[in-house]
Amino acid sequence: MPHDETVQREGAANGTVSLAEAAKIKYLTPHNARFVRTKGNMLSVTVENKAYPSVYLHCSFPHSNRNQYISVRTLENEEVGMIESLDDFPAELAELLKEQIAIRYFAPVISKVLAIKEEFGYAYWEAETQAGRCRFTVRNGGGNVKLVSDQKLLIQDVDGNRFLIERLDQLSEKEYRMVEMCL
Amino acid sequence: MGTIPNDICEVLKQNEQAPAPEEIKYWLRCDRTLKGGFQHTYVLLTEKELVLVHDPLTMLTETTFTGYTAVTNKDKWSKRFITRWNKGSKHNTVQKSIYSRDPDWKVECLAAEQIENVFIVNLVAAGLLVVKDLNGEERTLAAFSNSQMKKATRLVSQFEKLKRLEASKEERDEEKGAGTCPTCGMLYPQQERKVCPKCMKKHAIFSRLLGLAGKYRVSIVFIVLFMLLNAGTGLAIPYLQGTVLFDQALGGTGPFAGQIALVIGLIILFRTLSLVFGVLFGMINARLGANVAFDLKSGVFTAMQRLSLSFFQKKQTGQLMTRVNNDATELQFFFVDGISYFIVNAMNIVGIVIILLLMDWKLTLLCFIPMPFVMIIIRQAFPKLWRLSWRRHRRVAVMNAIISDTTRGTRVVKAFGKERQEMDRFQHSNMAFAGAEQNFNKMNSTVFPILTMLTQFGGLIIWAFGGAKVMQGELTFGVLMTFINYIFMLYGPIQFMNNIAGWWSYCMSAAQRIFEIQDAVPDVSEKKDAIHLEVIRGEIEVDDISFGYEPNKMILKQVTMHARPGQMIGVVGHSGAGKSTLVNLISRLYDVNEGEIRIDGHDVRDLSFDTLRSHIGIVSQETYVFMGTIAENIAYANPDCTLADIVHAAKIAKAHDFIEKLPDGYDTIVGTGGHSLSGGEKQRLSIARAILHNPSILILDEATASLDTETELQIQEALEMLIQGRTTIAIAHRLSTLRNADYLIVMDKGKVMEAGTHDELMHLEGMYYELVQKHDKALQMRGVG
Repeated sequence: MPHDETVQREGAANGTVSLAEAAKIKYLTPHNARFVRTKGNMLSVTVENKAYPSVYLHCSFPHSNRNQYISVRTLENEEVGMIESLDDFPAELAELLKEQIAIRYFAPVISKVLAIKEEFGYAYWEAETQAGRCRFTVRNGGGNVKLVSDQKLLIQDVDGNRFLIERLDQLSEKEYRMVEMCL
Repeated sequence: MGTIPNDICEVLKQNEQAPAPEEIKYWLRCDRTLKGGFQHTYVLLTEKELVLVHDPLTMLTETTFTGYTAVTNKDKWSKRFITRWNKGSKHNTVQKSIYSRDPDWKVECLAAEQIENVFIVNLVAAGLLVVKDLNGEERTLAAFSNSQMKKATRLVSQFEKLKRLEASKEERDEEKGAGTCPTCGMLYPQQERKVCPKCMKKHAIFSRLLGLAGKYRVSIVFIVLFMLLNAGTGLAIPYLQGTVLFDQALGGTGPFAGQIALVIGLIILFRTLSLVFGVLFGMINARLGANVAFDLKSGVFTAMQRLSLSFFQKKQTGQLMTRVNNDATELQFFFVDGISYFIVNAMNIVGIVIILLLMDWKLTLLCFIPMPFVMIIIRQAFPKLWRLSWRRHRRVAVMNAIISDTTRGTRVVKAFGKERQEMDRFQHSNMAFAGAEQNFNKMNSTVFPILTMLTQFGGLIIWAFGGAKVMQGELTFGVLMTFINYIFMLYGPIQFMNNIAGWWSYCMSAAQRIFEIQDAVPDVSEKKDAIHLEVIRGEIEVDDISFGYEPNKMILKQVTMHARPGQMIGVVGHSGAGKSTLVNLISRLYDVNEGEIRIDGHDVRDLSFDTLRSHIGIVSQETYVFMGTIAENIAYANPDCTLADIVHAAKIAKAHDFIEKLPDGYDTIVGTGGHSLSGGEKQRLSIARAILHNPSILILDEATASLDTETELQIQEALEMLIQGRTTIAIAHRLSTLRNADYLIVMDKGKVMEAGTHDELMHLEGMYYELVQKHDKALQMRGVG
């Protein structure tokens, strides 16, 4: 067992402060927070009688886990609290929160790469996505096409618009050949 | 801003409540839905209202983002289509075919007087346009992708101006930003990069490159001449070794009958000549190569120095270094190997084929039989080989990154006892690399032997058919030998020509990247008739300025301040409040987006760079020592100063004592590879540099932030000497250093929150008061106060 973990446990047993206590994160649960969709299509929350008319959801792990550790923040980037897991919320509410997350993180998922043409430091992509056919331009190099997990590829175009390939291994060989040259 | 599409104008005309199209002051086409997908929502701004034209049920079936110009030949139709999509067609309507159905536009008007403000919420790679009404109720109007961010920001600021009843100035500069290539109508891939890759490819690059070579015309002519002579003499050898030797000398016919010694002599002579020409060509070539690379590198470096700071911040420094080095080398190959080898190989091919055809056209055609197969293999296998080598290259890069990562982080690795884990990590990438390497080598060692075999097959065909002809007496043995030798000489040039397309585009992109730097227009440029001031008093007026490095991320909002000549102004605030940005704008490292900064009553944009640089001095937290001696570093701004000046400046800056302690004194070499100085020492050198520069306006940007208390005190004394008689703007987060400022401004989130003297602000008990309290408490806790 790693040494530091042992120390931490002993520390907790001795009555010293644990990590969770030291971090002082306010966790929002269905009991202490009430999320509501406003008439103007915004998300508002009331936490222990304090109302925040519009809040935004930031995923701590947007690429690996959008269900857990969601930070609820105001426009001024002040953290109202964190949601440990969406599963703690009733289905309907979880759905509302997921919608809000989707608004923030929406990036068309590429279902088929039609063509990638490289010329003079730019790659011109044409792809079928879940949001229709997209044509966009990606500057070569500089991490504009990067693997964010084992199989998931994130592509950013010249304006910073994002596109995703969820699973590289699901691409056909021809598609993979085109994509590989951009990695 | 562009004109509103006709179909939307029609909708406006047909709707009674909607304003007439002429009333629209500004408009924006949002392109996203909230749910995920693309959709057009028009947000139109008039003097009295905000108008929404949308159809929530119509989605876009295709979306083309900024810069897309991929047009293959088979794709001509889509080229026309995309251009039209971007520009609007002749009739200025959006193509119906991109909609999922015939749009049923709905118009919604929001009275401006009912709206408190409109703002943008930044999402990941997108934005949300939100209105807040007078009751404080917020509502999302529409979402848009990052491509529309600039326009959306503009819409918000236009709305604010209308709200404040300010006459909206004619916004001309935006048109400038929306760059399309005047020749082909394509959007430039990047707005700040006014280069159309399509048109550039056709005309400019090659002629520009040749223009560069023009200087070395004589060398190139000689190179080509010697190469041709080299090839010409080389071409004679197979003839001598074949038909002349076998048929004439040995066969006893023709002019060389029996003269074996003469023929051998001729062969030796031609070989020697060929060698001499080759050596001559190589010598000139080497010199030309070095010269061209030198020219290119110095050209790019000079161009880079001319550019504004923002250029360097947009591009990674590493990328720039690569550009200067690799691209220059790439182009060196273009001049040195490319042009000359191209000419010679082309001549070789033509020459050999003519000779072969003249000797025996039937045999010539026969020996081309394997050629299509060679071509097919090259076409098929080479892209694959290139892909495998790319994969290998990437794996090496990963492996190297791990090595350098671990080496630099050794302390951490050891401290956490993670050697095993690092070894596994390395092992993993090492295996991946080994696999890629094997695949590449396997392919490599399959393709080339096959190619060689095919090439030799051509020779075998000649042996077979030619041999039969020799037996029948239709052909002499010497001619056959000559033939075979020529065939083998032909394959090299043909392979070269086959690779030329790839090599060509490689060179052109290198050239284009280099030209891009040379052509880049600095964001901050000097006006043609800029005012030059010999002496300035040092009055600074910052008048209602706003500034952001990116649209909708305003760092400074409506900042105003005034410094009289000789005053010291202190700027305080949390980190990220925009303090450093403010001083960067005063010294015009960037230009303001709105408002004006005046020095002695002149807008800084009207002053010459020379005036600004010679009268404004900056001492910042970020100190930099250049390679060179300490004396040279101090004299950087004023290399002609006397030795006494250097010593005096160092003395005032409290640097003299530590310099004298060094064995080499003022001659100590510092900077990369030289003597290393501590943070405080470097800081004192930069203060000495500023003292010698003797500017009328001095900017101290956290000059003492990173130092320990004692060094800070020393430097503080030095600074107090320095600021006398100058207008000084000092940024500090240690408030104690600013107590004797004439005037303080307190900034937060890009805005000036409070302004006044120390006493006034303490009296106010506002943000400054709080900062001072916190500061004092912190000092007490550390036991310093």
